[in-house]
Amino acid sequence: MSEAPVVSVTVPVEAVAPAIVDSPAAGQENVRTRWESWMHAVFTLREDRFFLMLAVVIGVFSGLVVVCFRLAIEWTQITLLGASLSPSFPRVVLAPTIAGIVVALLAIHVFSRVRGSGVNQVKAAMYISNGYVPFGTVIGKFFVCALAIGSGQSLGPEDPSLLMGAGIASLLGRSLRLSQEKLRLIAPVGTAAGLAAAFNAPISAVLFVIEEVIGTWSAGVLGAIVLAAVSSVVTMRAFLGPDSLFRVPPFRLAGPGEVLAYAALGVAGGAASLLLLKWIVYARPKMQALPRWTEYFQPAAAGLLIGLIGIRFPQVMGAGYAIVDQAMHGQFVWQLLLLLAALKLLVTGFSFLSGTPGGLFAPTIFIGAMLGGAVGSIEHYFFPGLTATIGTFALVGIGTLFAGFLRTPITSVFMVIELSGNYTAILPVIISTMIAYGISRAYQKVPLFDLLARQDGLLLPSIEERREMTSFVVEDAMRTDGVLVAEPGEHIVEVARRAEANPEAALLLRMRPGEWWLLDRDDVLRLAPDAARTTTPIHAKSKGPIPYLFRDQGLAEALQVMGDWPVLPVASRADLAKLEGILTLADTLHAFRKTPKEEAE
Amino acid sequence: MSAASPSTVSDESPRIFSRELVLILCVLALVVLLALTALFSRMYHKKIHTLADAMFAQGEADEQAGQVKAALTDYRNALAYNPSNPLFQLHLAKALAAAERGEEARSYLLNLLSESPGSGEVNLELARIAAHNSSLADAMRYYQGAIYGEWHSDPIAMRWQVRRELCDFLLSRGAVKQAAPEVIALQENTPAGDPARLKIVAQLLLRTQQWNRALEVHRTLLAADPNDEESLAGGAQCAFELGQYVTAMEYFDRLPRERREQPDLAYRYDMTRRIFAADPFLSGLSAEARAQRVAGALALAQTRAENCAHQTGQSLEQSPPQTDLQRVYQQGRDLQQDWAPRYLERFPDRLDAAMAYVFSVENASAAACGEAQGDDRALWLLGRSRSVVNQ
Repeated sequence: MSEAPVVSVTVPVEAVAPAIVDSPAAGQENVRTRWESWMHAVFTLREDRFFLMLAVVIGVFSGLVVVCFRLAIEWTQITLLGASLSPSFPRVVLAPTIAGIVVALLAIHVFSRVRGSGVNQVKAAMYISNGYVPFGTVIGKFFVCALAIGSGQSLGPEDPSLLMGAGIASLLGRSLRLSQEKLRLIAPVGTAAGLAAAFNAPISAVLFVIEEVIGTWSAGVLGAIVLAAVSSVVTMRAFLGPDSLFRVPPFRLAGPGEVLAYAALGVAGGAASLLLLKWIVYARPKMQALPRWTEYFQPAAAGLLIGLIGIRFPQVMGAGYAIVDQAMHGQFVWQLLLLLAALKLLVTGFSFLSGTPGGLFAPTIFIGAMLGGAVGSIEHYFFPGLTATIGTFALVGIGTLFAGFLRTPITSVFMVIELSGNYTAILPVIISTMIAYGISRAYQKVPLFDLLARQDGLLLPSIEERREMTSFVVEDAMRTDGVLVAEPGEHIVEVARRAEANPEAALLLRMRPGEWWLLDRDDVLRLAPDAARTTTPIHAKSKGPIPYLFRDQGLAEALQVMGDWPVLPVASRADLAKLEGILTLADTLHAFRKTPKEEAE
Repeated sequence: MSAASPSTVSDESPRIFSRELVLILCVLALVVLLALTALFSRMYHKKIHTLADAMFAQGEADEQAGQVKAALTDYRNALAYNPSNPLFQLHLAKALAAAERGEEARSYLLNLLSESPGSGEVNLELARIAAHNSSLADAMRYYQGAIYGEWHSDPIAMRWQVRRELCDFLLSRGAVKQAAPEVIALQENTPAGDPARLKIVAQLLLRTQQWNRALEVHRTLLAADPNDEESLAGGAQCAFELGQYVTAMEYFDRLPRERREQPDLAYRYDMTRRIFAADPFLSGLSAEARAQRVAGALALAQTRAENCAHQTGQSLEQSPPQTDLQRVYQQGRDLQQDWAPRYLERFPDRLDAAMAYVFSVENASAAACGEAQGDDRALWLLGRSRSVVNQ
C-alpha cells in the first residue's frame, strides 16, 4: 500500500529550533518557538492520523449540536403543547397546524434543502458532491425540525441529527483542506456522530453508517467513524445523562420454544413495515404531483389531521419516546397498542408525505414497540405460560420494524441489544428481524432510502443491491489447463517437446516454491535442437519473478496484480510450489461477462 | 432533495484559511458551543425538574384525594420528564397497583428491582401484587426480600410491618404451617413494652394456634393493663385451649358479660362453666360434692355410651366385645357398684378410677359417634386436659 500523503508543513524548520536565552524578549521568543514547534508537530501529522483526530472533534461538535437540538425540541414541545403528555384541546390542534405553516414558509423560502431524507442527503454528498453538505442545511434542519417535531408532527430527531453531524464534518473538512478522498468520507463520519448522539447508541450508529451509507467495511474510515460516534455519545451523555431513550424492563428467555412467539412477531412486523413502505411509495409521488402552491399548506394540513387525532390519542404526536417507555412497561392493553401502532403509521405518513422535515427512525421505533407489545399481549392471552413480558415483545418489535422498514437488519439487531443492554435478547431479535426483513424484501424490492432517492430524481448507489452483488474470485475465472510447468533441473529438450505438443499452453518455470518465471516459448524451441546435456530452461529467455494469485482472491484485486503480465499462476495457499491454475486477462473478462444463468449452470 | 455539483462545491466553499487558524477557530467555537450547551442544558434540566416535581406533587395530592386516575396521569407526566427517578416510578407503580392494574405496576417494579435488588419497598410492592394474584411462591420470595431488604427510614419498624403483612397473607391463604415460624419471628422482634404490636402478635399467635406463646403474650399485656378486654378474651381462649380451665374462668370472669357472650367466646365460656360444674378435681370441694360429681359423670357417660350404641346399632352387652366402646363399657360395668356415691365419698381413692372410666367412655363414644355436645363435651375436654396434665 502506498504511503499516505503528509500534510504540508507551514512552519519553517529554522523557526522550530529551540533558543536558550535569558532576557524577557528572548523568553517571549522561546515561547513562540515552542508554540511553533508544537504546531509543527501537529500539522505534520499524516493525514490518516489527522483524520482520526478530526473525527473526535467532529464527534464532540456533533454531540453538542445534537444536545442543543434535543433541548430545542423539548422546549418547543413544552412551549407549544404544554408540559402534560395529554395536551389541552385548542393547543393540540392549533400548535401543529400553525407550526406547519411556519415550517412550510421556512422550508420553501429560507432553508430550501431541509426537506427529504438526511440519509440520502449524506449519500448524495458522498457519491455526488465530494462530501459537500451545505452548512445552511444544518441550521435549517436544526430550527425547522425542532419546530416541526416540537409542535407534534409525527417525526423523529435522528435523521436531522445525522445530517447535522454530516454538515459539521463537511464544513470542518473543507475548512481544513482535507484531500478529496477524505472529504468524501468525512460526511459518513459526521453521520455516525450525529446518529450516535441522537440514539445514545454508538454501536448502532456505526453499523447503520456501514450498512446504509458506506456499504462496505472500509478500514480506511471505520476507525474515524467509531471515534466520532464514541466521542459524540460521550459528549451527549455529559449533558443529558447515560440513560437510553427509554428504559427497558429486565427479561429472560425461558426456553427455545418461546422463539416461536417472536417468529409470529416477525411476521406481524414484516407486514406492518410493508404497509408503511407501500403507503409512502404510493402516496409520495401523488403528493409531489400536487400544484406547487399546496406545499405551503401541506405541513399545516398534516398538522391539523394529527392534532385532531391527538385530541383523543395524544400519544401519537411527536417522537413519542415517553410513550414507548410506557409500552415497554406494559402500560397499555393490546387493543390500544394496536390502535396506536395503526394511528402512528397513518400520522407518520401524513407528516412525511407533507414534506415536513424530520426523520422516520423515531416513528419506526414507536410503531415497532406498539406492535410488539400488542402481539405479545395477544400471545399472552392465548398462551399464559409465556414468560416474556410485554416490554420484551415491545423491544423486539422495535428491531423488527426497523429491519423491515429501514432494511438494516444488522443495525436492528444490535440496536435492540444496545438499548436493552441484554444479550439474552439476541436470539428472539435475530429471528424476528430476519423474518420481517425477508417479508419486506419479498414484497418491496427497492428499499426505502433508494426509493426516496429515485423519487427525487437521484440515482444513488443502492447499498442493499451492492451488498448482494456477486463478487467474483480468481476461482471463477482461472483455467486449470493450458499451462506447462518446467523445473529448473529439467532438460530443455523435454520442455521443448512438451511445448510442441501443447502449442497454446503458457510455459511457467517453477524456480522455487513461490517463485514463478514466464518462459519465452520461442527461445525454448530455439535452444532445444542444439542443446547440450546440461542445458535447462534456466538458459532460455524468461521474465520474472511474476506475481502469483490464490484462488480465493477477488478478481478486481487480481486485475490490479496482473498489470502487464499476460498470465499469472494461481498457487495453493498450503503449498506454494503447487500450481492450481492460471489466470489471463481474457479469462477475467470472460468471467465478468458471464450471465447469472451461465453462472448457475 | 437537491445535491450540489462539484463545481458548486468550490463556489460555495468557505474561504480557505490556514489550518492553524481553522483549528484555533475550531477550538474557540467548541468552547463557545460547550458553554452555550451547558447553559441551555442547565436551564432545561432546571425547568424539567421543576415540572416533574410539580407533577409529582400534584400526583401525590390527587392520590391522597382518592383520584387515582388523575394521579396516574400526573405520575406519568412526571416520569416523562424524569424517567429514571425511582421515586416517581415507585409511586406510579403503587398508584397502578391501587388501581388494580397489577401487571402494569409489576413491570415498573421489576425495573426498579433490577436496579436495586435489595430495596425493601420495591420488594414489598411486588409481594403485594403477587399476593393479590395469589402467587404464593412469588409473594413469599418478595416478602422475604422486603423483610431482609433495605429501608431508608425506620427499618426495624418497616421489617416488622412487612412480616406482619406476610403472616396475614399466609393465614388468609390458610397456610398456617408456613405462617407459624413467621409469627414466632415476629414475636421475637416485638419489644415487650409495645402493647399495640404485642396485641397484633397475640392475635396472630391465636390464629396460628400457638396457645402457649399467645397466653404468654396476653399475660404480658395483662400485666400492663389488667382490664384490657382483648387481652382477657385472648388469654381466656388460650387458657381454654391449653386445658387451663381455672385460668380461663378467671379471665372470663373479668370480662363484661356482653363480651363473654360474643360468638368468639360464648362457646368456650359455656364449656368452661360446664367443666367447672362437672370437674370433681377442683380444689375446695367437699368429699360429698366430689362423689356427687363423679356419680353424675358416670351417669352421663353411661347415657352417652347407650345413646351411641343405639345410634350405631351395636349392643353394649355383646360378648366378646367387638368395638372399643363395648370393650371400655364392659370393663367398667362390674365396678359400677364400687362407684356408688356412698363408696366414692367414703373411698376417695376410687374417684380417679371412676373418672378414668368416664373419660374412656367419652373418648370411645366420640370416636364412634362424633364429637359430643354439652356436658359430654365438657367431660371429654376435661379428660383430655387431665391426660395432658398426667403426661
